[in-house]
Amino acid sequence: MKRTFYLEKEKCMGCTNCMRKCPTEAIRIVKGKAVIDDDKCINCGECIRVCPYNAYTSITDKIIDLKDYKFNIAIPSTTVYGQFTLGTEICKIHNALIGLGFDYVYDESWAAELVTKAIKEKVISDKILRPKISSNCPAMVRLIKIKYPGLLENIIEIEAPMEIAARLAIKKAKKIDKTLKDEDIGVFYISPCPAKTLSVKEPIGKDKSYINKVISLKEIYGDMVRELKMHSDRCFSNPSLTGLKWSISGGQTDACDFENSIAVSGLENVIDILEEIEMGKLEHIKYLEILSCNGGCVGGTYNFENPFVANSNIKHILKNIKEERLINDDIEKYKEFKKEGYFDIAIHEDIEEKKPNIKEAVEKMERIEKIYKKLPKLDCGSCGAPTCRALAEDIEEGKKTIDNCVILKLEEK
Amino acid sequence: MKKIKCYNYKIDKNDFVNAGKVSSEIKKNLKKIGFTNRIIRRIAVISYEGEMNIIIHSEGGEIDFEIYEDKIILKINDKGPGIDDVNLAMTEGYSTAPSEIRELGFGAGMGLPNINNCSDNFNITSSKNGTKIESTICLE
Ligand SMILES: Nc1ncnc2c1ncn2[C@@H]1O[C@H](COP(=O)(O)OP(=O)(O)OP(=O)(O)O)[C@@H](O)[C@H]1O
Ligand code: SF4
Ligand SMILES: [Mg+2]
Repeated sequence: MKRTFYLEKEKCMGCTNCMRKCPTEAIRIVKGKAVIDDDKCINCGECIRVCPYNAYTSITDKIIDLKDYKFNIAIPSTTVYGQFTLGTEICKIHNALIGLGFDYVYDESWAAELVTKAIKEKVISDKILRPKISSNCPAMVRLIKIKYPGLLENIIEIEAPMEIAARLAIKKAKKIDKTLKDEDIGVFYISPCPAKTLSVKEPIGKDKSYINKVISLKEIYGDMVRELKMHSDRCFSNPSLTGLKWSISGGQTDACDFENSIAVSGLENVIDILEEIEMGKLEHIKYLEILSCNGGCVGGTYNFENPFVANSNIKHILKNIKEERLINDDIEKYKEFKKEGYFDIAIHEDIEEKKPNIKEAVEKMERIEKIYKKLPKLDCGSCGAPTCRALAEDIEEGKKTIDNCVILKLEEK
Repeated sequence: MKKIKCYNYKIDKNDFVNAGKVSSEIKKNLKKIGFTNRIIRRIAVISYEGEMNIIIHSEGGEIDFEIYEDKIILKINDKGPGIDDVNLAMTEGYSTAPSEIRELGFGAGMGLPNINNCSDNFNITSSKNGTKIESTICLE
C-alpha cells in the first residue's frame, strides 16, 4: 500500500483544486479526473482537505474489527483530547473508548514523553549534521525522501510515540491477562491523518508496525461523542504533560526544551525552511520540528475540531491537570526500553546515491526548457498539470502533448 | 574534458530582496540533473556564500556555473572594490561586515573559509577592480 485514501471517480469534477495544492506535484487531471502518482504521494492529506466535492475517501478500519481479537487496545492520538468541548476530562474520553468495546486504553502522551527523552539524548550526543530534524510526521519524512533527499541524514532516527505506545500497551495487556498471546491482542490506533495511517500500513525505517488496525478519528468521532455522554466511572490514566504537547505545533521543541530549536508547521512553511537548510543555512539550529499540518497534528485532516479550538482545548488540559495525576511507571523504565531497541529505526539506510548521466540529464533539461519557452507561463492548470513547467516535463516524457495547452489553442484560432 | 553546459547569473549589490535566489536556482538545476546529495550540498554552500559576498561586500558581479563531464566550476566574480588583505579575509571569523549586516545574521566571517573547505580546488585573486574566485568540485 502506498496511499491510505482513494478517489471516488464519479464525484471528481476535475476542478484542479487538489492538483494545485499538492506539494510534490503528484496529481494530474487526466480526462477530467484527478490521477495520483503514488511514487510521489506523501499522504499529507492536502487533497482530501481541499476537495470541494468530497471526492477523496479515506481507508480506515472500523469498530467492527474489534471482533478479530480477544483483547483490544485503543491508542488515541494525543490530538483526540482536543476534539471535545472544553473541559472534557481525559479519563472520560478513555471511558468512551471502553464503552465502544475496547478492553484497555494506552495514552500516547506517555510514549511521547519517553521519545522526548530519547530525542534529547540524541541531539546532545550527536553533534554532526545540524539541524536534527524530527521524524514524527510521516508525511514530512516522505517529503524529505522525495524532494530533499540530501536532508535525509538530518532526520533523527527515533521511533514515533504511537509505535512505542503500541509496544508498551501490549506489555501491559499481557500483565493484565497472562494467558494472552500476541495474536490475541488487537492494537488500534486512532489516527488524525492519512500519513499516520500509512505509517502503520507501510512503515518507514522498520519491518513492521506493532499496531494492527488504524481507525481514522473521523470514523469513530460520532460514536465517541455518544459514548461520552454515558460514561463517567473508571479512570485509566492521565496524560503526560510533556507528551501531550506533541499534539500542537511547537510542542516537541517545547518538550525537549532546547535552546536554538525551531518549530514549523504547515506544508508551505516547511518547504521554505527545508530549502534554507539545503543551502547550508541554519546549521546553528539544534532541532527542527516539522509538521505537515497547520498548527501541528491538531490540524490533521481526520480531526473534527478546528485546529485553533483544539489547540486551546489541549492548552486548557495542560493548565488544569491535577497534581495528583497518576504516574505511568513506564517512564522510569526508559533505560530498559532504550537498551531493548524500542526507539531504533533506520531511515538513513534508504539513501540511494546513483551516479547521474550528466550529459543525458542536461540534454533532457534543455529539451524541457525549449518546450517551456513556448508555453504561456500562466500556470492556469487547464491542461491538467499544476504549472506550465510541469506540463513541459510531462510533454518531454511523452505523457502529454503541447495540444493540451488550452491557451495556445485559443491563440491559434 | 568537454564543457557540457554553462549558466550565467548576474547579482546586484545590496540586493537583499533576491538574496539566495541564484544559489537556489543552481541547487534546483543540480537536483534535476541528479547529482549526489554530497555534491549538491557542497555547491549550494559555495554558491550561497559567493552570492552573499557579492551582495554584501561588492559593487555587484556574477556567477558562472559550468558543468563538465568530470567536474563543476564556479566562477564568482565582482566589479570591486576588492579585498585589501586576502589572507586575512580567508581566516575563519574575520569579517568587516558592519553591525546592520550582522543583525541580518551575516558577518560570522565564515563565508570564504567555507567556500575553500567545500572546494577541491580553490583560487582567489583580488584587486580594486574586483575579486575573482574560482572553485572546482571534482565529480568522483
Ligand atoms: N567579494 C568581496 N568583495 C570585497 N570584500 C569581500 C568580498 N568577499 C569577502 N570580502 C571581505 O572578506 C571578509 C570575509 O568574508 P567572509 O565571507 O569569510 O565573511 P563575511 O562575509 O564577513 O561573513 P559571513 O560570510 O560568515 O556571513 C568580509 O568581511 C569582507 O571584508
Ligand atoms: S502534522 Fe501530524 S496530523 Fe498532520 S500529517 Fe503530520 S503527523 Fe499527520
Ligand atoms: Mg560572506
